[in-house]
Amino acid sequence: MSKVTRRAFIGLAGVATVAVVGYGGAMLACRGVPRHNPDFFAGLDDEPLRQAAQEVGRRVLAEYPELVEDRALKSFLAARPRLAEAATVSCPDTRRRLVQDQCGADFAAGEARVLDGWVMSETELRLCGMAAKYA
Amino acid sequence: MLTDLQTLDDGASLKAPICIFGAGAAGITLALELEKQNIPCLLLEGGGLTFQEESQNIYKGEVIGDQNTDIAYSRLREFGGTTGHWTGQCLPLDPIDFEKREALPYSGWPITRADLDPFYERAQPYLQLGPFAYAPSDWNLEGPKLPLNPEKVAFGIFQYSPPTRFGETYRAPIETSKTIQCYYHANLTDLVIDEAGQITGAEVQTFGGKTMSVSADRFVIAAGGIENARLLLNFTKQRPAGIGNQHDLVGRYFMDHMNCKLGTFLPADPAINLSRYLAQIVDGTPLRVNLRLPAEVIEKQGLRNNALLLEPVWQSESHNDEFRDHSWLAFSSIAKSLAHGNPPDQFPSKLCTILDQPSSVAVGISRHLMREVVPHGELQSVFFKQDAEQAPNPDSRVTLEDATDRFGMKRAVLDWRITEDDLLSLRKTHELIGVAIGEAGLGRVKLGLGLPPNDDDIYTGYHHIGTTRMHDDPKQGVVDADCRVHSTKNLYIAGSSVFTTEGTANPTLTITALAIRLADHLGREAGDGQRHVGRNDAGQNQAGGDR
Repeated sequence: MSKVTRRAFIGLAGVATVAVVGYGGAMLACRGVPRHNPDFFAGLDDEPLRQAAQEVGRRVLAEYPELVEDRALKSFLAARPRLAEAATVSCPDTRRRLVQDQCGADFAAGEARVLDGWVMSETELRLCGMAAKYA
Repeated sequence: MLTDLQTLDDGASLKAPICIFGAGAAGITLALELEKQNIPCLLLEGGGLTFQEESQNIYKGEVIGDQNTDIAYSRLREFGGTTGHWTGQCLPLDPIDFEKREALPYSGWPITRADLDPFYERAQPYLQLGPFAYAPSDWNLEGPKLPLNPEKVAFGIFQYSPPTRFGETYRAPIETSKTIQCYYHANLTDLVIDEAGQITGAEVQTFGGKTMSVSADRFVIAAGGIENARLLLNFTKQRPAGIGNQHDLVGRYFMDHMNCKLGTFLPADPAINLSRYLAQIVDGTPLRVNLRLPAEVIEKQGLRNNALLLEPVWQSESHNDEFRDHSWLAFSSIAKSLAHGNPPDQFPSKLCTILDQPSSVAVGISRHLMREVVPHGELQSVFFKQDAEQAPNPDSRVTLEDATDRFGMKRAVLDWRITEDDLLSLRKTHELIGVAIGEAGLGRVKLGLGLPPNDDDIYTGYHHIGTTRMHDDPKQGVVDADCRVHSTKNLYIAGSSVFTTEGTANPTLTITALAIRLADHLGREAGDGQRHVGRNDAGQNQAGGDR
């Protein structure tokens, strides 16, 4: 096993510094993103939220199956560029904001339904429906 | 002048140009307004100066419709009437409440909100309120506005009376009045009406067994939303169906407000600042902002009116009020009376109510103490609290049962109906507010009513409305636009029983405003020397109205 040379150590430290500064910079940038929106269904990579979304999604599949039909989903996603953008960003707060902006736009357009008594946007219903359908 | 009728001789006669039966918010206001015009009147109250069981017993009856209501103790039969225990929340009816709306059956008053505005303004001081200002923009409110789309959600103001206890506040002015002859323990037991529809006299009785006769040019019944109907239905000697009931309308269209805490707002940010929507005092006036749908949305969606208050649920339960039940209210009432140096009324009854459920009093006291030292913590959720409107419904009604009171008058039966449309309207209102809250990114709303909706959690607002409704057409209403009973020449009704629709406003302010308007009308009639003014049964205007 070769020795860790001084040059290798400095190189590793430099890479680590760049990574830390990059991550820190991204975190700082995310601080500027408004966070007053609801957290619902925007962090589906979070396991407890994913499970919650799937539970909601199972109800969506039962009550509003038409929202989660493959053909409907394709046109739904095509008409919502914020969701496509959300899929490409790594910052969770930015992603959350994009999803919530889309939910807000749904409400503004009257694209809302009642599920188990909750007044919800079609976007969140479809996202939950997908989480359940493709679990 | 304030006198116990029992002190007069049996068979005595009472006389004045105007006779008012009932000394509650409507009757007392009417008498005081007539005094300003220097018109003498008789003000006859069935009860005593304070609560008396033998008087309150007259109000006992049967409830056969929705059971989440009460007929015996929700109203008070005493000098000052039900203002003896009202909560003081005030709001005028909205302009849309007076309009005929396609989606609201039997709607449409013969007067408009603009007609009533000058009287609302004059009613404010009677209830010890601030200026006649019910728009948030009228007030320098504390706290930030919620960023809700103004096309989807509107805001209004509730003002709060101390609350004014008419029996206490106006006792001295009536005692010293030179034009008001007020007799208590004067129970109206009959009206005499001639062939032409002229009320020629009345009979009153005391609990001590004395009977007196009353003569006046004009008579006003101001006994409350249930009692006004009960009295008219009981006067069958000359009118077999009851006075004013030739079209079977008296007692029908009974409405109450659907008092409920239904619907929950779950805020996205627990640190959301809702202070603007909680109780505050601005320029000395206690008030609170309510949320409602704009009139255009109500019209377009075909909904009933509703003004909802936000009731926060805090992390620390010491700041929450869900413990408030009859036991706590009884305790609170006793405590307030003692704090004001007054003996509590109905003390044995209230004490027994507390003993039935002492735990809520213990919880209430401990929470009020804890509030002083424990912060409320994060906001958990926000309830929607409201007195939601129901539509006029001829099947919702007050009738008579065979059982009689001590004066031989048949007791009232209350058949309060809440329809599925009433409930669906409330559900839709919450849904539309939920959409606006979602649009603003503030959180989500959970509806309080399912499908099909049930009324298990809907309670009475203790508002008894509509049983002698106002309408130009005698086939659709008991009184005309001047509150004169259509089929009579000189009998008038004051109180919430004349409301054609109820809106979402607590009725006392409108009751007071209508009483002032009626006083002006009667004053003009007296000034004109007319025996009767108003509209005949064909709906034709005989001598002009107040509009």
